[in-house]
Amino acid sequence: MVTEAANGVSLFLPETYDVVWSLIILVIVAVFFYKFFLPKFQAVFDERAAKIEGGIAKAEQAQKDANAAKAKYEAQMSEARVEAAKIRDDARAEASHIVADARTRAEADAAQITANAQRSLESQQQQALVSLKGEVGTLATALAGKILGAKLEDKDVQSSMIDSMLDDLDAKK
Amino acid sequence: MIGAALNSLTLASATQPEYPSIDDFLPPELLFQGTPFAINRIILVRILATIIMLIVLGVTAHRVKLIPGRWQGAVEWLIEFVRDQIVYQVMGELRGKRYVPMITTVFCTLLVFNLCGIIPGFNIAASATITLPLVFAMWCFCQYWIAGIREKGLGHFLRDELFPKGVPAPIYILLSPIQLLELLVIRPFSLTIRLFANMVSGHLILGLCLSATQFFLIDIANKAMAPFGVITFAAGMFMFLFEALVACLQAYIFAILTTAYINMSFPEAD
Repeated sequence: MVTEAANGVSLFLPETYDVVWSLIILVIVAVFFYKFFLPKFQAVFDERAAKIEGGIAKAEQAQKDANAAKAKYEAQMSEARVEAAKIRDDARAEASHIVADARTRAEADAAQITANAQRSLESQQQQALVSLKGEVGTLATALAGKILGAKLEDKDVQSSMIDSMLDDLDAKK
Repeated sequence: MIGAALNSLTLASATQPEYPSIDDFLPPELLFQGTPFAINRIILVRILATIIMLIVLGVTAHRVKLIPGRWQGAVEWLIEFVRDQIVYQVMGELRGKRYVPMITTVFCTLLVFNLCGIIPGFNIAASATITLPLVFAMWCFCQYWIAGIREKGLGHFLRDELFPKGVPAPIYILLSPIQLLELLVIRPFSLTIRLFANMVSGHLILGLCLSATQFFLIDIANKAMAPFGVITFAAGMFMFLFEALVACLQAYIFAILTTAYINMSFPEAD
């Protein structure tokens, strides 16, 4: 009974060698954790965090680049569209110009042709008139000969002569 | 003396279970008897557990990679648990950074030492003498005094601790001695006794269940008591698992209380 009581108390009395070993182990373990174990892991944690942050930054940069490229492409697209529309408009304007030009030229040509025809008609008429005048002279000469030949007293003869002369003129004309 | 002990053991085993006793915690010295470096069974367990822990964690730290494998993931989880769930949770990152290595040391070492109690072959917690918890508690004691003196100065620290604000003056007659006692004795010894008593009681109960199982199922000639042995075996299994829980829980409590005590020495921003 007495020994057991002594044992119970001695349970709570530190032995010298126990203190020594506990301290030795505590120091070893603490040095291990402070100087080796945790710094190693901390280095890896930091490196990993840096990698992840770098990756995120890279992804953001890529996204930005893609957005810029897209914006540029869209700008080019709309520019091209505007240009195409302009070219189309120009072409249309030019075409109508050409048509209008052609029409005016044709009209001018036509007018000129008409004028030429008119002029040639007039000159022919003139020629006809001139030649008619000449022929009228010969005819008159012939007629005068005839009149001189076939007696001029008879009224019938007179009128028929004039009629035939006029017929002649008509026919000549 | 050893012969007598053996004699009494063989004698006991014939008639009654070989119950564990507090003698388990005062084992005979095996090496360097009588010197300050004497080694008994518990200290041997402690040294072996330390060597195993240093080798396992040392190899892990040596091979540490950016992309963790399963084992490294588990170790990293433990480190992050201590850092985030114990230290930063209690004192915040700014104050806590300085104490992360200390609390990690305390938690990991006590966890391994406590678990020795249920590791076959060791069968006794490496923290199951009063000294080891006491040494860790004294470390905590030094740290919270140092923190208090560094952060507030000795006078300020003592005034804040012994004469807490918002208490009517006459109460200080009662309160101040209690506070002083708390600061000098209660904190380190409550840490020590809590851990030590848990390890002792855990070992005794687990040993009781298993020795009764051995006795009633195997040693005894009369097998009428065998069903009782089955019950004690089931209880032993339960206690084994329970001790695993207690080992983790006590390491956690010791670590979080150490953190809390150190944190109390810091001036409260209000």
